[in-house]
Amino acid sequence: MGATEFMISLTQADGGVVFAGLGAAIAVFLSGMGSAVGIGIVGQAAAGLVIEEPEKFGRSLVLQLLPGTQGLYGFVIGLLVLGRLDIGMSMVEGMYIFAACLPIGFVGWISGIAQGKTAAAGISILARNEEQSTKGIIYAVMVETYALLAFVVSLILLNAVSF
Amino acid sequence: MAIVKMTEFSLFAFDSEKENLLHELQKFEYVHFQNLEQDKTLSEMGLRNIRVPENLVAIDEDLSRVNTSIETLTKYHQKESGIKAMKKGLDTYTFKELEQKASEIDYMPIYENVRELWKERESLKTAKEKAKLTIDELIPWKSLDIPIAYLNEIDKAVLFTGTIPKNLKDMLVEELKDFEITHYEVVGEDKDNLYLIVMSYGDEAEKTKESLRNTSFSKITITSEETPSEEIRLLEEKILKLDKEILTIDEELLVKSSKLSELEVTYEYLHNKKLRVVAAENFLGTDQVDVIKGFVPTERFEEFEKRIKATLGNAYYLEMKDADKEGRDVPILLQNSGFVTPFESLTEMFALPRYNEIDPTPLLAPFYLIFFGMMAADVGYGVIMLLGTFLVLKYFNLSEKTKGFIKFFYYLSFSVIIWGFLYGSLFGGIIPLKGLFEPATDYNTLLILSIIFGFIHIYFGLALKAYIAIRDKKYKEALFDVGFWYIALTGAIVYLLNMVIDLPEIVKTISFWAMIAGMVGIVVTGGREASGAVGKVGGGLYSLYGITGYVGDFVSYSRLMALGLAGGFIAGAVNMMAGMVAGKGPIGFVAAIVIFIFGQTFNLGLSFLGAYVHSIRLIFVEFFSKFYEGGGKKFRDFKSKPKYINLR
Repeated sequence: MGATEFMISLTQADGGVVFAGLGAAIAVFLSGMGSAVGIGIVGQAAAGLVIEEPEKFGRSLVLQLLPGTQGLYGFVIGLLVLGRLDIGMSMVEGMYIFAACLPIGFVGWISGIAQGKTAAAGISILARNEEQSTKGIIYAVMVETYALLAFVVSLILLNAVSF
Repeated sequence: MAIVKMTEFSLFAFDSEKENLLHELQKFEYVHFQNLEQDKTLSEMGLRNIRVPENLVAIDEDLSRVNTSIETLTKYHQKESGIKAMKKGLDTYTFKELEQKASEIDYMPIYENVRELWKERESLKTAKEKAKLTIDELIPWKSLDIPIAYLNEIDKAVLFTGTIPKNLKDMLVEELKDFEITHYEVVGEDKDNLYLIVMSYGDEAEKTKESLRNTSFSKITITSEETPSEEIRLLEEKILKLDKEILTIDEELLVKSSKLSELEVTYEYLHNKKLRVVAAENFLGTDQVDVIKGFVPTERFEEFEKRIKATLGNAYYLEMKDADKEGRDVPILLQNSGFVTPFESLTEMFALPRYNEIDPTPLLAPFYLIFFGMMAADVGYGVIMLLGTFLVLKYFNLSEKTKGFIKFFYYLSFSVIIWGFLYGSLFGGIIPLKGLFEPATDYNTLLILSIIFGFIHIYFGLALKAYIAIRDKKYKEALFDVGFWYIALTGAIVYLLNMVIDLPEIVKTISFWAMIAGMVGIVVTGGREASGAVGKVGGGLYSLYGITGYVGDFVSYSRLMALGLAGGFIAGAVNMMAGMVAGKGPIGFVAAIVIFIFGQTFNLGLSFLGAYVHSIRLIFVEFFSKFYEGGGKKFRDFKSKPKYINLR
C-alpha cells in the first residue's frame, strides 16, 4: 500500500474516537499538571508566610488560586470533547479533535507552572508590603493571557469544523 | 470632578504659637505639608530644622504604654459574635469629640494597674510551671516510700540515684553479680530508662561506680524532702492554689477590660498628637519664627486662612499662589461623584495621576463595569453579589474605605446580572433562560463583540491622548501621535475586513491608501525627537513597529469572551455532575445539592476573581498605555489613620 492509498484509507476508516478520547485526556491532564505544580509552588511560599502572619491567609489564597485556572480551561475543553464522542467517529474527525486539544494542553501545562512561580513571587510582595499585593496578582495574570489565548483557539478549533 | 485644584502656601508664624496652630490645622484636616529639609534656598538663608526630639520620644512612650495595656486587655475582652460586631462596627467620632473624650480619660492609673496585675500573673504562672516540672521529675521515683531527706543523711554507705538505658539492664546485672555489699533496686521506669537506687559500701563503692559508668549510668539528684508521693501531693496542692490566684487576677483584668474603649480613644488621640509633632519636623525656622510650606485645596483656602487668623491674630504672614501645573511635588487629591468614587481604588492601584494629567477614574469606570459583567455573566451569581453587598451596606457600620470597597462590588453586580440575562445563564443554566446569545454556539459573535469593545476602548484611550495634547496646545503632537494612528489603524482594519465580508471596491481602495498614508505619516513624524537623519528614520520605523502592539492589544480583549465562556462551562459541568447523582434516591439527591452548592460557590469565587483581575489588566495595560502615565504623590491630610474608631 502506497502512501497515498494509506492516506485515503485513513480518511475512510473509523475509530477516530480513540484519538478524540486521547485529545480530551491530553487537554485535561497536561493543563491539570501545570495547574497542580503551579498551585503547589505558590502554596509552599504561602505556607511560610502564614507561620508569621496568619491574618494574610485570605490574600495568599487568592494568589494561590491564580494558577488553578489552566486546569479548568483544560477541563472545559475535555468536557466539550466528551460531548462529541461517538463510537462511529471517523478517523479524520478524531485526529482533528485531537489537534484542537493540543493548544490548551501544552500552553496550560507550561503557563500554569510559570504563573505559579510569578504568583509565588507575589507572595513575597504580600509578606513585605501588603498594600501593594494586588500588583503581584496582576503580574501573575499577565501570564494567564497566553493560557486564555490557547483556550480560545482550542475552543474555536473544536467548533469551527463540523464533520 | 477630577483632580482637586491646589493652592501652594508659605506661612510664617511665631514658634511659640506652633502647638496651637497645628492643633487648629488638624481640626481643619485638609492641609498637606511640604518637607522643607531639602529646600536649598531656605537652608542657605540660615533656617534650620526645628525638630524637638524629646517631644517625639515622650509621645512614643505614652503610645507604647497605652498599646501594651490594650494588648493585655484585648485578651480578656469578650467580643461580640462576628455578624453582631460587624453590624455595630467601630464607634464614630469627629476630631472634636475625640479630643473632648480623650481629655476626660486618665489612662495612667489604668496602665499602672493593668501592668501590675499582668506582672503578678506572669510570676504566678512561672511558679506554676516550675512546680509542674518538679512533679514530672519526681514521678519516676514515686514508688520510693522513704523520705528523700533520709537518703541524704546516710554517710557510711555510698548511695547512687540515677538512670540507665533499659537495654543495658542485663549488663548491669551481670556486672554487679559478684558484689557482696552492694544493693540495687529498680524504682521506676519511663520509655527508655530505668530509675535506680544503688547502695554500696567501702571498697566496693569504687568498683560499683566503675560498673555503673560502663552501663551509661547518669546521676540524678532528687530535689525533695518528703517521700516523692507526698512531695507530689504538696506540689499539686500548690498548683491548685496558684490556679486560684491566677483566676482572681483574670477576673480583675476582665473587669478592667471595660476600660478598653477608653484606652482605644486615648490611643487614637495620642496618634493624632504624634502626627502634629511629626508634621513640625517638616518645617524650618529661626529661634522665633517658623516657615511652613504646603498645599491646601483651592476651594478650602479661605477657610484655611480664616482658621489661621482666628488662632494667630495678626501675628503671621501668609503667601499663596496656584500650584504649578507641571510641579512634581503637588499632592493629588481625587474627587468624584458617588458612583465613580469606589473606582478610585483602581486608579490608586496603578498610580495616582500627576498634577498636569487627567483623572482617569470616571473614564475607566464604565468600561470596568462592562468588562467585569461580561466575564462573570451569570444572573444567579450577580443576584447573590447584589443581595450580599446590599445587606452589608444597609445593616453594617463600616469604615469609609470598606464601604467604598463594598459599593464597588454592589455596582458591579448589576452589570453581572445584565450580562447574565444576555448570556441566558442562571447558575450555569440550571433554569433555562432565553438570552440574546447562546455562548456555547455563538462564541464567534461574542469574540467579535469582545474585539469591538477592545476597539472602542483603545480608540477612546487614543482620543484621550489627543485631548491632553490639544488641551496643552500641542496640536502637532495630537496629529502625529494620534491622528496618523487613527488613519493607519482604521485603514488597516477596514482593509482586512474586506477579506471577510464583501465591501464596495471604492471602500477597499480608500482604506488601502488611508492605511498607507497613515503609516507614512507615522514613519515621517515618529522619530522627530531623535537627532540626525538616521535617528529620525529609525525612530519613525520603530514607531510603526508599534503597530504589532496594537494587534496584541486587540487580541487581548478576546479574554472577555473566553472568561465568560469558561465560567459558564464550569457552572454547566457542576450542574451536570449534580444531575448525574440526583436521580439515585434520597442520598443521591442530597449529594446533588452538596455538589451544586459547593461547585457553584467555588465557580462564583473563581469567576469574580478572574473578572476582577482581568478587567484590571485590560484597563492598566491596554487602556492606560495609550494616554496615562501617573506618578503623582498622594495628598496626605493632616489626620492619623484610625485603628480602633472611625474618624469623621
